[in-house]
Amino acid sequence: MAFVSSGYNPDKPMENRITDIGPRKYDQFYPPFIAKNKGKWLYHEILEPGVLMHVAESGDKVYTVRCGTARLMSVSLIREMCDIADKYCQGFLRFTTRSNVEFMTDNADTLKALKADLAGRKFSAGSNKFPVGGTGAGITNIIHTQGWVHCHTPATDASGPVKAVMDEVFADFQAHRMPAPLRISLACCINMCGAVHCSDIGLVGIHRKPPMIDHEWADRLCEIPLAVSACPTAAVRPTKVDYKGEKHNSIAIKNERCMYCGNCYTMCPALPISDGEGDGVAIMVGGKVSNRISMPKFSKVVVAYIPNETPRWPTLTKTVKHIVEVYAANANKYERLGEWAERIGWERFFSLTGLTFTHHLIDDFREPAYYTWRQSTQFKF
Amino acid sequence: MAKHATPKLDQLESGPWPSFVSDIKWEAENRAKNADKVNYQIPVDCPADLLGVLELSYNDGETHWKHGGIVGVFGYGGGVIGRYCDQPQAFPGVAHFHTVRVNQPAAKYYSSEFLRQICDLWDMRGSGLTNMHGSTGDIVLLGTQTAQLEEIFFELTHKYNTDLGGSGSNLRTPESCLGTSRCEYACYDTQDVCYQLTLDYQDELHRPAFPYKFKFKFDGCPNGCVAAIARSDFSVIGTWKDDIKIDQAAVKGYVGGEFAPNAGAHSGRDWGKFDIQAEVVDLCPTKCMKWDGSKLSINNRECTRCMHCINTMPRALHIGDERGASILVGAKAPVLDGAQMGSLLVPFIEVNQPYDEIKEVIEKIWDWWMEDGKNRERLGETIRRLSFQRLLEVTEIAPQAVHVKEPRHNPYIFWKEEEVPGGFDRDIEAYRTRHQR
Amino acid sequence: MNEEQQIVVDFLTGKTGKSKFYFNDFLPLFPGKGPRDVKKILTSLVNAEKLEFWSSGSTTMYGLKGAGKPDTDA
Repeated sequence: MAFVSSGYNPDKPMENRITDIGPRKYDQFYPPFIAKNKGKWLYHEILEPGVLMHVAESGDKVYTVRCGTARLMSVSLIREMCDIADKYCQGFLRFTTRSNVEFMTDNADTLKALKADLAGRKFSAGSNKFPVGGTGAGITNIIHTQGWVHCHTPATDASGPVKAVMDEVFADFQAHRMPAPLRISLACCINMCGAVHCSDIGLVGIHRKPPMIDHEWADRLCEIPLAVSACPTAAVRPTKVDYKGEKHNSIAIKNERCMYCGNCYTMCPALPISDGEGDGVAIMVGGKVSNRISMPKFSKVVVAYIPNETPRWPTLTKTVKHIVEVYAANANKYERLGEWAERIGWERFFSLTGLTFTHHLIDDFREPAYYTWRQSTQFKF
Repeated sequence: MAKHATPKLDQLESGPWPSFVSDIKWEAENRAKNADKVNYQIPVDCPADLLGVLELSYNDGETHWKHGGIVGVFGYGGGVIGRYCDQPQAFPGVAHFHTVRVNQPAAKYYSSEFLRQICDLWDMRGSGLTNMHGSTGDIVLLGTQTAQLEEIFFELTHKYNTDLGGSGSNLRTPESCLGTSRCEYACYDTQDVCYQLTLDYQDELHRPAFPYKFKFKFDGCPNGCVAAIARSDFSVIGTWKDDIKIDQAAVKGYVGGEFAPNAGAHSGRDWGKFDIQAEVVDLCPTKCMKWDGSKLSINNRECTRCMHCINTMPRALHIGDERGASILVGAKAPVLDGAQMGSLLVPFIEVNQPYDEIKEVIEKIWDWWMEDGKNRERLGETIRRLSFQRLLEVTEIAPQAVHVKEPRHNPYIFWKEEEVPGGFDRDIEAYRTRHQR
Repeated sequence: MNEEQQIVVDFLTGKTGKSKFYFNDFLPLFPGKGPRDVKKILTSLVNAEKLEFWSSGSTTMYGLKGAGKPDTDA
């Protein structure tokens, strides 16, 4: 493993330095049929789940095959995608916002061959490398975050629960059976690097215990004032403590103010927040981003806590699947999950789904809480 | 033989959805074999060690990563996230495992040539593991060591003509939907604005000087495929001012069952025969449509451009020709005072190169927020604290009824002195000539 | 080092009890200047290897190069 220099000279960091050049320009990567018809598209059709056809004014047709991915992927898998793009798609491909990969061709025969080829590609243990789907009134790929794979404040894993949930709802990734599109997202803590707060079903990792304090190490590992100023709710303050007979400059935490965000741990490794017993997942439902029919909506918490049951999160996946089925059986055509819940009323949502309503689900966090209580005599028994 | 036994993770290899565990194992094998004789610059077995430390998390339900803040490339304040494993003896391959964010091309189109270059770089100088893509849009290269950061940056800029993305208190990597490149709903060229503004604001992207993160996102229409309205401080969302274009023959095609409604999105269930009255006219949120059995008409003045009718009959209905965008500001996730959706600031703006009108709005907002925003305060929170009126003042935009869903619920108006005849300085002596004490 | 750079360095070497600062903390040092001008001074110090960035991933701070508690045994 001999060090190979790129040409960078560490003694003179500014020598030959290129900065601020930004990304490559998008149009270098257009397949020819996209470059030709840009801005001149007439309409599209979903030919079957996962396969789109866009028709241009010129009469040109472009076929897109959308495939789910795990988002976390190896260079070996990306190279395989490149091989597929070279063989069928003139050397181009794209990814979607929801971590699907799209292969495009303007030739109907190539489309057929491409689909057949994709269907046969599996990982060694049998899972699909390129499952086709994720369009229309179905369930598309789950937007998610890093979890235990790479983050320092997660309350759950991301890739694992996503795999378990997608396995559970896989048939609906490849079907158009839902009343409307159903978007699931997962964020591994409340900071929500993923936009979980506007999803039909949002899964959010939650901590339920304030950070521990490593008194012996706090002043050695971190700058206490920085940990104090990192706290969004002013729950962290400096203090002096007696610990094992010695005085230490350390930290005190007002537990009742802590919202379990982990910001203090980011600044100060002497304040670990993860806890195997305390951590788990909350389920939020009924959000949407689109302006279609009704305005965009936030997701609402309907299950306060489900423990992390590794490796396949059976309670979580069962609950998600159940919500999906009750929605599919009861909502009107075109009705998003949140629109359905609002039409029937949230009390009816709970009675239909059988989910238990507990005090955790009544908002008590700051000013917006009041607007979620019922200021009316209209309700359903 | 795998380096670490991973009985729990192995259970995530079954089932139809792509298994990240199988993929990481595959990468571990490929690195061990090294068929291409790559001169690996970080431990060959880092994918195996990643599985090992992840298995540990699956056993104890806790993460084993620590944050590290002073890793990056010289002169940049973002683009690299420092990561250290808290069990480095057991998993030396991932003891240091920093993330590199690479600015993706707008809307994530790639040539296989460019992707292979990134793969070669990351094979040799990193873990061989990635996220395609991060939530904000970057290519996320997952795991390398400090000594490789400058080398990676040098190769990215010198050989591959590409740059890092954002992190920290800066302009985050902008992102757009695919816009006019492959969508008939797009009201402007989202990719081009995204690209141009990314270039124009490189200093803001790489050298953090904001109170907190700031995100631009560009959606081509109100369907919102990149979720701009939910997650970006500055959302540019395509819209149009004139009439929806109607092809009456195609409308009849939908009514007669010749074309599948909603572009075939509901094909998996028998919803019965398409009913234009129930499925389009009655679901219109403003009830501005009429179907008389042979002709569809729209009272466009009352239309709020929700896209439902166009989505449902894409062959028959098309967006208008007087196109541009609405700008909404201040969206954010729930931390700290609750989630915020973007609030409408500019109802309509033309989106033409070189985008000076949009940049003018952006820069007025930045000047204000950099001066008056508190540390770690997103724009949406600054607006809430200092008022929407203040935002209108600094952006020099006249208040209009479309700025609100409804007028205020109270008469506690903060009158400005100049709005009241005679001002606030009053003559108490003169008052006393009219009123006894 | 010019006068403006010196003001920043004096502030950072003074008695603050901290080694890392938000961008906003520097604005009061230059009452006549807007944020963009203050940023230029800080950038020049970063390029001169006097200051360095510290990032939590979500927020960024500035500090004197090498100051503060060492990051995890890198």
